[in-house]
Amino acid sequence: MAIREAVSEEFRAVARDAVKSAKAAGAGGAAARMAKVREVAVQWRDGQVEQVTESTTRGLALSLYVDGRFASVSTSDLRPEAIDPFIMDAVAMTRTLSEDPFRTLPDPSLYDHRPTVDLEFSDPDYGTVTAARRRDLARAIEDAARSVPGADRILSVTTSVSDSRSEMFRVTSNGFEGERIDTSFWLSGSVTVQDEDGRRPEDGDFCGGRFVRDLGDPAEVGRSSAQRALVRLGATKVPSGIMTMVLDRRTGGRLVGALLSPLSASSIQQRRSFLEGRAGEGVGGALLDITDDPLIPKGFGSRHFDGEGISAQRLPLFEAGVLRNYYVDTYYGRKLDMKPTTGTTSNLEWSLGSKSQSELILDAAEGVFVTGFLGGNSNGTTGDYSLGIQGFMIRKGEIAEPVAEMNISGNQLELWKRLVRVGNDPYEFSPLRTPTLVFEEVSFAGV
Amino acid sequence: MIETVQDLRPTYFSAFGVDEKLIREALSAALSRGGEYADLFFQHRVAHNFVLEDGSVNRAFKGTELGVGVRVVKGDQTGYAFTEDLSLESIREAARTAATIAEGLQQEAPARFHLTGGLPSRYATTRRWDDVRPEEKLPLLTGLNDKTFAMNDAIRKVNITFGDEMSAILIADSTGRIAEDVQPMTLLYLSCVAEKNGEREQNTYGVAARRDMSFYSQDRLDLMVKEAVDRTMILFDAVQAPAGEMPVVLGAGASGILLHEAIGHGMEADFNRKGTSIYADKIGKKVAHSFVNVVDEGTEEGARGSINVDDEGNAAGRTNLVEDGVLTTYLHDSISAKHYGVKPTGNGRRESYQYPPLPRMRSTYMLPGPHKKEEIIASVKRGLYCTNFTNGQVQIGAGDFTFYVKNGYLIEDGKLTRPIKDVNIIGNGPKVLEQIDMVADDLTIDQGGWTCGKDGQSVPVSQGIPTVRVASITVGGRSDR
Repeated sequence: MAIREAVSEEFRAVARDAVKSAKAAGAGGAAARMAKVREVAVQWRDGQVEQVTESTTRGLALSLYVDGRFASVSTSDLRPEAIDPFIMDAVAMTRTLSEDPFRTLPDPSLYDHRPTVDLEFSDPDYGTVTAARRRDLARAIEDAARSVPGADRILSVTTSVSDSRSEMFRVTSNGFEGERIDTSFWLSGSVTVQDEDGRRPEDGDFCGGRFVRDLGDPAEVGRSSAQRALVRLGATKVPSGIMTMVLDRRTGGRLVGALLSPLSASSIQQRRSFLEGRAGEGVGGALLDITDDPLIPKGFGSRHFDGEGISAQRLPLFEAGVLRNYYVDTYYGRKLDMKPTTGTTSNLEWSLGSKSQSELILDAAEGVFVTGFLGGNSNGTTGDYSLGIQGFMIRKGEIAEPVAEMNISGNQLELWKRLVRVGNDPYEFSPLRTPTLVFEEVSFAGV
Repeated sequence: MIETVQDLRPTYFSAFGVDEKLIREALSAALSRGGEYADLFFQHRVAHNFVLEDGSVNRAFKGTELGVGVRVVKGDQTGYAFTEDLSLESIREAARTAATIAEGLQQEAPARFHLTGGLPSRYATTRRWDDVRPEEKLPLLTGLNDKTFAMNDAIRKVNITFGDEMSAILIADSTGRIAEDVQPMTLLYLSCVAEKNGEREQNTYGVAARRDMSFYSQDRLDLMVKEAVDRTMILFDAVQAPAGEMPVVLGAGASGILLHEAIGHGMEADFNRKGTSIYADKIGKKVAHSFVNVVDEGTEEGARGSINVDDEGNAAGRTNLVEDGVLTTYLHDSISAKHYGVKPTGNGRRESYQYPPLPRMRSTYMLPGPHKKEEIIASVKRGLYCTNFTNGQVQIGAGDFTFYVKNGYLIEDGKLTRPIKDVNIIGNGPKVLEQIDMVADDLTIDQGGWTCGKDGQSVPVSQGIPTVRVASITVGGRSDR
């Protein structure tokens, strides 16, 4: 196993001292989290640097359990003379609240069996990227964007190169200590093109990785950004109708997120979830098969423990369309008398199909290939959704004319039953890792 | 005499060791590589949230932020860095980092500074929020909870969030100007879940303002309960909206979201300077009927979007986006104002010291027009009347925008008939402006807690509109074909 970096002892001491101060001020229990995030970004536009930002932010967050009452506080004012008065004041504020018998730190047994697998969060080479290299990468993205056929329609190219390194240490008064250091690196391009009717469609692309050596090819990001913008030229809307939807893997996370939030115990307990009481029931087609997996190396949602300190484990959400588990944190778990799982999503692992996106489009024959959502919302209480979309018509199994200014709407309980194909291509730059999805009989609104 | 927020201004950051000498030395470091302009943005923000759930106020959140951002500008280029440690050494290090945007000789920091005086106070507060004890705030929440349950037997859950915030800012720039402001904010959100005949519905009503406790009059609280319950209960009778293009009448007030998305963002000067907005090169062009007038201003007393001074130290006035149907003025920060050779419009805003300022909206609304609400509704044979909204979005260059309608009605033969719910509406900015063919005389500025997002930065805004008719726009309802 690789040797992992550790956060500094001084950093840990601030959090441990905060727990001690909270207890001295009268808190029966406390959890403290120290975090420090360094971010550097270069934004480049049309041949020169537009903006350079470089900073390190740090802060202390504290959860307080005082006489059966609860509050959570945070501060970036870490002057030694400021911290103790801040904590005393926070404890006094907590005492003004109502008692809440459900509010406790997690059962310490949930801290046990913390996985030790190396999740490869942190690049030891972080810090070797120079300002000059960032500028070269940013320029290379623009140069590639301007090299594609049709580039004379390009009005503006903005690119960015950014990286970050986060350190976190968390400690509770009932025996949890945990820390992590993670890094990430991102490249992006955004291209605006001139359409004949005065519109200036914009699109772009990006890629990223936890390690600088995993950073993709800037030329590919640039070309893809320009191509994605140029294919938007001449977009129209088509008549409203019921059609097959092929949903691009990059954008599918928006719909998947709308399915996940009603899985939280807080939504269930507050009666704001259309998935309440449906555990063990089929809520989707057989292809809806998703597991929450916190232990994927280099995954953007990976973790050894969650925000409460609960040790990470795989959590099946849907098996062949059947709802298996909810996201249950300590507090709402106690209110609902449900065993805590974890309160938050990590990564999703999908049961993948065998076909690529282009094969799925070919199979669909006729329909709409949705490549982006614009606004809209999903009602977690009822499952009704209505979302703006853009994309392309699929005609005779091929991508045809671009469409825009259209909507899809329906109810999620119907939608997921109409999931008829899942691609083999999980989107690696999002923790939801959504593959291309195909839904039948989706209601589109246009002309 | 009551001590007002104004009286506290000039001294606020001296408690943190910030004085002219520190400012001068920090600016000198910022200008060490030849930057043309530099500014410092100090901020101390204290925010509280109290939440009522399941009948009691059983959780509270408090956040304190203290920091300073350093910006260095050369032409259109910006260097930015910030620190949470207000020592000279730490600020200097941030300043030197930001300075690297330029490559040249040391520029001089100002020898003297002058405080921008004569700023108005648009916040109408007599007490600062950090002087208000929780014991004063909590009865607001429990009182609302009891009244909401008493209003209707179908109510099952009530969630209430009360928030207050005090943000002190000091901006000092390389022209020697210093501006200070202490900006209050409060918000109150009431959300309820009801059950009826085995169905369940949920809705929310909220208000926000730059005011103090006196904002929460009994009348306002009673209105909140009524609105939250009515907006929830009507959903049980609501049908799905139809799909396709049709006339849409937007009710006075929150429908201002249309202006925010359809024109406001596209008029932010940074997009136009870069040529990436659909409104680039359209100043002086006729874009709407002559009775359409759209403004963005920061001056209405107590409004969520109002500010005495923007986050670059410029006074917030009133900007005409559309005057008599003609596109008039972009929304500027100091970089874009310099680019276009115009005066800044006081629209340079930022989420916090962690971010450089950008051209942003404040309170965006349409002035009253010649029509009457009743005649507008009566003019529609088949369409929608929309009253409440949750969110919207826009593509700046293509001009396509959306807004999500939470409550509304079908209009059939000139009359409001069945309620509708949960439908997204999508249109194209310039096309929709042309399609606004009736404007009523009932301008209302909405008091909701609207928050605008751009480049990862959130800022509070207001919006408003009279009742208007959009002759044709795509309604994202259910298609039956």
